[in-house]
Amino acid sequence: MRHDTTRRRSGPAALLTVIATAAFALILAFAGAAPANAASSPSPSPSSSAAQSIQVWIRKASDRSDVPGVKVTVSQGSFSQTVTSGDDGKALVPVPAAGTYKVDLDASSVPEGAGTVPTGLNPRQVVVSAGNQGVPAYYILVAPGGGATPTPGASGGASSGAGGGGSGADSGASLFDLIAPRIVTGLIFGLLLALASIGVSLIYGTTGLNNFAHGELVTFGALMGYVFSAVLGLPGVVAIIAATVLGGVFGYVQDLGLWRPLRRRGVALVPLMIVSIGLSLALRYLFQFIFGADQLVLPADNRAAFILGPVRLRSTDIISAVICIVLLLLVAFVLLRTRIGKATRAVSDNRSLAAASGIDVERVIRTVWVGAGSLAGLAGVLIGYYQSLRWDTGASILLLIFAAVTLGGFGTAFGALVGSLVIGVITDVSTVFIPNNLKYVAALVVLIAILLVRPQGILGKASRIG
Amino acid sequence: MDFSFLLLALGQIISPQTIAYALAALGLAVQFGFTGLLNFGQAGFMAIGGYAFAITTLHLGFPFWLAVLATLVATTVMALVLGIPTLRLRADYLAIVTIAAAEIVRYVVKTPDLIPLTGGSDGLNGAAVTFDALNPIPPGSYGFGPLRYDENDLWIILVGWIFVILVALLVRQLMKSPWGRVIKGIREDEDAVRSLGKNVFSYKMQSLILGGALGGLATIINIIPTSLQPDNYGTQTTFFLLTIILLGGATTVFGPLVGAIVFWIVLSLADGFLSLAVQYHWLPITTIQQGPVRFIIVGVALMLIVIFRPSGLIGKKREAFFA
Amino acid sequence: MPDTTTERAALIEGAPAPGVKKTDPIVVADGVQRTFGGVHAVDVDHVEIPRGAITALIGPNGAGKTTFFNLLTGFDKPNHGSWSFDGKPIGGVPAYKVARRGMIRTFQLTKALSMLSVMENMRLGAQEQPGENIARALVPALWRGREQQITERAQDLLARFKLDTKADDFAASLSGGQRKLLEMARALMSDPTMIMLDEPMAGVNPALTQSLLHHILDLKATGMTVLFVEHDMHVVREIADWVIVMAEGRIVAEGYPDQVMSDQAVIDAYLGSHHDTDLGDLSEEQQAELLDETQAEVEREEERNDG
Ligand SMILES: Nc1ncnc2c1ncn2[C@@H]1O[C@H](COP(=O)(O)OP(=O)(O)O)[C@@H](O)[C@H]1O
Ligand SMILES: [Mg+2]
Repeated sequence: MRHDTTRRRSGPAALLTVIATAAFALILAFAGAAPANAASSPSPSPSSSAAQSIQVWIRKASDRSDVPGVKVTVSQGSFSQTVTSGDDGKALVPVPAAGTYKVDLDASSVPEGAGTVPTGLNPRQVVVSAGNQGVPAYYILVAPGGGATPTPGASGGASSGAGGGGSGADSGASLFDLIAPRIVTGLIFGLLLALASIGVSLIYGTTGLNNFAHGELVTFGALMGYVFSAVLGLPGVVAIIAATVLGGVFGYVQDLGLWRPLRRRGVALVPLMIVSIGLSLALRYLFQFIFGADQLVLPADNRAAFILGPVRLRSTDIISAVICIVLLLLVAFVLLRTRIGKATRAVSDNRSLAAASGIDVERVIRTVWVGAGSLAGLAGVLIGYYQSLRWDTGASILLLIFAAVTLGGFGTAFGALVGSLVIGVITDVSTVFIPNNLKYVAALVVLIAILLVRPQGILGKASRIG
Repeated sequence: MDFSFLLLALGQIISPQTIAYALAALGLAVQFGFTGLLNFGQAGFMAIGGYAFAITTLHLGFPFWLAVLATLVATTVMALVLGIPTLRLRADYLAIVTIAAAEIVRYVVKTPDLIPLTGGSDGLNGAAVTFDALNPIPPGSYGFGPLRYDENDLWIILVGWIFVILVALLVRQLMKSPWGRVIKGIREDEDAVRSLGKNVFSYKMQSLILGGALGGLATIINIIPTSLQPDNYGTQTTFFLLTIILLGGATTVFGPLVGAIVFWIVLSLADGFLSLAVQYHWLPITTIQQGPVRFIIVGVALMLIVIFRPSGLIGKKREAFFA
Repeated sequence: MPDTTTERAALIEGAPAPGVKKTDPIVVADGVQRTFGGVHAVDVDHVEIPRGAITALIGPNGAGKTTFFNLLTGFDKPNHGSWSFDGKPIGGVPAYKVARRGMIRTFQLTKALSMLSVMENMRLGAQEQPGENIARALVPALWRGREQQITERAQDLLARFKLDTKADDFAASLSGGQRKLLEMARALMSDPTMIMLDEPMAGVNPALTQSLLHHILDLKATGMTVLFVEHDMHVVREIADWVIVMAEGRIVAEGYPDQVMSDQAVIDAYLGSHHDTDLGDLSEEQQAELLDETQAEVEREEERNDG
């Protein structure tokens, strides 16, 4: 086997091809043209003669529909300008200089029944740097009683974009009405997390590395999706496949150029982890350097396409979920049934024993990097569709990924899946009980609590002494 | 062409920010460099300590010393809460739990519901009153060129540096004592130390508490001349500190101080140079793109140090934290 | 060695058999069980370790010897079972307290603290150093005196183990065998009542083995109880007063060194794992194999430690 070069080379490629093909087939089967009607909501990169501008965008939380006719005042010192949102819910406000502007939405101008801006988010301060165009000031109007409101324009964090707020449509909604949609969106988010978590888990299992730069693999995928769909204007299918394939290539290049040489040098695990922290910082800000600090939006159809009781989902959500499930099944199949998958598990279990029994450990690790990269890339682009994306989208979910992996037990791929679903559901359901911006806190608190009871994670095994 | 940034960079040597980072880094060095504890939530300790100080000062009217005590209590409680569940587990659990805890702290203090207490995203301003009230330096403007300080700036710089040096001497004394021997033994192999009859858990906890307390005190120095901003205590702050101790030498007492000075001088020089580069179009980048560059520098530097000079600037090669 | 024979005869009450009563046991264990995912790594009904004697714990790889060590010394927790040391129950007592009570163990995979000097390693083994308390550490006057005593004792021991010339070197610079010696010397710093050595000879070159054996015999001469794990039957025969044989977690035989080698249960136990082992002497091939296994374990251990 050691001399079987064709097999050696075909491993990662095969996995990649399988994943890519599956993604492709799925999208063709389910998507039709869904994410392809690109132009409907272009990314906020307006052109204007002023050197700086603020992009106001008002939408309803329930179905993400645009709200026209809302008055918004942007002011700073002597400068003050009032605009009214157009049919697309947007208004562009050119501002004369860099600085911090106050953006104030006139609540009385909001159409009857469109909802209100959650307290604390209006008026708000928007920081405009010199030359910044379209600095986001996005408002999401919630119907009275609705809880799940993403902090607009503030973080690349996960938000239950899939109509999480729809639950509050009628006041006095039952607890079930509040929780059911969040369980569904939480599960979808959990599936997305799982794509990324499995890679973290496999890399940890085979190399011992806690990869702090995994979030950047996710962001990379999301940004590639953005480049292919929003910038190049290609259909969503292409964007998704490109993100997946390029994610795999990125993983491969990282391993080849950085991690493998470091393994060869015999660098220990703690320093390796710190190297990954450095890489994470460098990559993340490189992304910001290239793509800017603003939210980026992937062209997609944001109308609810599926309504069942209190649950409302967009077609992109459903497609994402299906892609995730199929890919996760595929990963399970690869791990359990194929030669490379069995080798991967053997290496995770006991590296020296695996090496002694003739498994090419380096090849396994390479394959794992490619697989982890493509899964993370796919997770990234899907998260981009699920909510929005930014230079730090991946970094903002890194802790959730770690939480998922730790919960499941380090190094067990299936543990990572279970952990991800748990974390996804906890984050979304918690918003019923605690403020929306604390939902990550819920997940992290649960992580700490579970470690107290079961330190080895849900599916992990204890380590040995002596 | 304006070269005043060179002087400003030199000013970083004594800036309160440098002092604060040196102190927090020293705390991290105690935990990470000497004890081997992967505390990736030092920023959380800093935040907790800072809020304890600012809140007790602003809302409860505590005098300075009492507010400092509140900081120590707060960081100790945090160390206990995080340490008790994790210090018995494998090292990387502590890393993930502490980094998570630090983010929890940041999210919680930023919650709009807590604005009356924590000021939400805007943080808290004005916690310096009790400290400035103790200032014996006559009002005026001191310094030269672009490096000008008023009496309060000078007061915090003086007190800050004296304090940091005293703490460093104290830590050095500890590390040379039998206590330090046990601590370093734990870094090497905690099971071996346990087999020799030492209560490893207790030592790790002491180290976590000590390092966390230094983080909390650092924030006091950091916020006195400015204000308490929650986003200054995100994970990137911990990673800056990590870079600083590795830069200076993670297993040395004075490494973190040297590291902090070098770190801020380099960043300040880079910022100044980039501004010029943008202004005179030496590089094809814009003002907005200037922001991320410093982080890219830190990230790349962190990787290079770990790979090529793990013992840091003043650490002995053989004593590199990573064998 | 006529007196050895009578001394040995006085160890037990009754005929040699698994779990036989000792006249003066220092450790008594009952119903100790430890399972890993359904596998009984240790399943000991009853065993007693005789005081003041050298007891060898033998058994094929994976028999559960190290796990049993871990359990007795508080490094691992059993599913159930109880045991006492020096008459007092110590089940559930944390490892560091077990050590303070005088039961010190070493590890199969040496745990020399490589970034500390040999001398610092030794000093760490001492008990009752007030300077190990964080508050007192700040006042050298409170611990200088004790440090002096500790250092003298360490120098003594290092000289005995022929490591005195290395006192100021980093432990990392020692050879594998020297590290074993250091670990043993370090364990002796606290004057333990009982010392438990997990494969003290593994990886030690033959020249050093002989001196290690003498050290162990010396320990017994000072009244210490020794329990050690060993693969080499020559060694066992040479120094052990009593042999306990484990296989698949159980104690399958106990006896005097000469008898136990011919015990059918012991032969079966070994045949289970090493088919053609002549218990009297392992072939070089087998020794190499054992070494490989240990090596692999070392690597695994290091990986884990790094994590
Ligand atoms: N932490 C652990 N997890 C799972 N299995 C273990 C662990 N520790 C030991 N074992 C298993 O328990 C058995 C006994 O191992 P051990 O005590 O190391 O044997 P010995 O020291 O006699 O060679 C072996 O089958 C080993 O694989
Ligand atoms: Mg063993």
